[in-house]
Amino acid sequence: MAEEILTQTPVAPKVKEKKAASKKRSKLIADIITYVILILGSFIMLYPFWWMIAASFDGSMLHIQSGLVWWPTDTIASNLAVCNNDLFYTYKILMDGEIGLCVKITGGATIWRIIANTLIYSIVPVVVGVLTSASAAFAFAKIEWVGRDVVFMVLLAAIMIPGPSIMVIQYCMYSSFGWLSNDTGWMVMVIPGLFGSIMTAFFIRQFLYGMPTSIIEAAKIDGAGYWRIFWGFIVPLAMPAIMAQGLLSFMGCWNNYMGCWIMLGSFKMAWNLPVLVSAISDNIGGDLQKYGALFAGSVMSILPVLILFGVFQKQIIGSLMLTGSKE
Amino acid sequence: MEDLFSENKAVEVTADSTGVAAAKKKEKKPINQQKLQDNIWGWAFCAPLIIGTLVFVFVAFLISFILSFCNYTSNSGATLWEYFGRLSLKKNELGEISPFYNYIRLFITSDVVTGSGTAVTADNDNMWRLLFNTVFYMIGIPVGMILSMVLAVLMSRDIKGSGLFRVIYYIPCITSTVAVTFTFQNLFKSTGVINNLLGQTIQWTDGYAMKFGENGDPYWCGGLLMKVVVIIMSVWKGLGGTVILFCAGLSGVNAATKEAASIDGANSWMIFWKVTMPDLAPTIFYTIVTSVIGGMQIYAEPQLLFGSTGVNEFVDGYVAKITYYGFFNTSNKNYSYGCALGMFLFVIILILTLIQFKLQKED
Repeated sequence: MAEEILTQTPVAPKVKEKKAASKKRSKLIADIITYVILILGSFIMLYPFWWMIAASFDGSMLHIQSGLVWWPTDTIASNLAVCNNDLFYTYKILMDGEIGLCVKITGGATIWRIIANTLIYSIVPVVVGVLTSASAAFAFAKIEWVGRDVVFMVLLAAIMIPGPSIMVIQYCMYSSFGWLSNDTGWMVMVIPGLFGSIMTAFFIRQFLYGMPTSIIEAAKIDGAGYWRIFWGFIVPLAMPAIMAQGLLSFMGCWNNYMGCWIMLGSFKMAWNLPVLVSAISDNIGGDLQKYGALFAGSVMSILPVLILFGVFQKQIIGSLMLTGSKE
Repeated sequence: MEDLFSENKAVEVTADSTGVAAAKKKEKKPINQQKLQDNIWGWAFCAPLIIGTLVFVFVAFLISFILSFCNYTSNSGATLWEYFGRLSLKKNELGEISPFYNYIRLFITSDVVTGSGTAVTADNDNMWRLLFNTVFYMIGIPVGMILSMVLAVLMSRDIKGSGLFRVIYYIPCITSTVAVTFTFQNLFKSTGVINNLLGQTIQWTDGYAMKFGENGDPYWCGGLLMKVVVIIMSVWKGLGGTVILFCAGLSGVNAATKEAASIDGANSWMIFWKVTMPDLAPTIFYTIVTSVIGGMQIYAEPQLLFGSTGVNEFVDGYVAKITYYGFFNTSNKNYSYGCALGMFLFVIILILTLIQFKLQKED
């Protein structure tokens, strides 16, 4: 490059202009290629959801689902005929309080009960758990206490223990606590989450490190105790990190299939939405109409998460970029 | 805190009147009290997390470890605590005490006959095949990383709407595995969209596509297309998270170094390999570690895609064996064996992590 510049300097400005033009053109071509690849990729990312939504309005497997590639054109009319001219027929199959698929499969729990379960399992432990994680993060980042580093290392070691290797004993523990039943099943999904999560605590701790300690010192001089410092300063100031971590764990809990299925698989009143959806799939047998209900359930289980993500995408993506974490 | 403040004032007053030495002596007290406060509140703020981790992770781990040498099953007719009252070591099928029997059973691939009859019965689901499936699914990790690297580089270009692309690519990451799995199951049906597009009737998931294992062909061919579907799905689902990680890594690459390299005559390919990649190394390492640890625990995807109730040794991962013996074996849930299986998984993941950290250090 250096040599080129040297040889170029005496050449007329016309050549320079030409070079700039060709550079501009090559950037344009690169931009076009970039857009083509990214839009094609976005299509692949979104198509399954489009298919899922279309299939959820399908009263019979024979119509939309097997033939749909791009747009359900001539099949809509015949599909509506199958569905008694009711667009939400499949949703009604699933949700009906008396003869609905949900009531039939769970033996009495309506879809609203299942949704309420899912909400309880994802809101209560997340709200409380994020706050307990944040308080631990505060203690790690801003307070000096005897044993802090040891405790930190011990918690770090706990991450090394994979969930599946201890889940059998966790099941036995919950069973001996008397948590495993239709009425107390929620305890299994809620209580362990109340104590906070190590990863969340680490990420908030990382966030708090960036905060100046002088604020806390100033508050201390003004006579504020740690309790007031935490609620008055730390929680509001770390709100972006707390919100983002809370939203991510909410989505994780809302989608928690494995935990609910292995612990509460036989207690149908305590199921959450993902378990219900998988149970619909087991229940289909030869009844093609139930496929529509299966995807109606699927859409219901992804919709709240999509809406939340749509509203808070800036905070979530920003937090992911910041902490380098991922769900 | 209130009295601490007033005491500080008192120190100031005495310092004025009685001199420096006395002041120093008195100052010690508030500092100690501050330390006490620090210790109390530090532990208090951490207490919930510590208690939760101790009870639900460490105690559970310890019990798992102990019980893996015992014989605790759902037929024992005792709760966990009751069983601890009459703990007994595992006996093998001949009635001899053999604490490592649960672990030995893991490695037995066919019945072992001793002098006095069949001593050890092999599981129907061979652990090695499940481990093979688990590792096979990790083909998705390099594929996903290369794809997301390309996408991240494209998104980091100076174009409009790169934020929107990040959002779109991240959507699969946040949606329910269950919903997505059933969609893919139907997309890959023999009459599904994928076959419609390809104009083929490939049996992706119906039955045991390419089940060569029984004709003397190597067993890894069994269910090959089903495994491919699982890989496609997990790459599709995990892509967005890695893309965002790499975008974050790319934005951290030193722009000045890049410019210096381009002035020195490096083309963009060389800049990518010599400047960008070394800066991205920590991100790549982090991604590999977390993906391998996560990949070892694959469970829901194959289980849901192919709807097996027991263990399907053509597609299921290792964790399916734990869930089967610990939860779904209706005749007898063998908790102790589940614990042994879990301990083995822990050791595998520990070794893998240590190897990765060692490699990282050598670089």
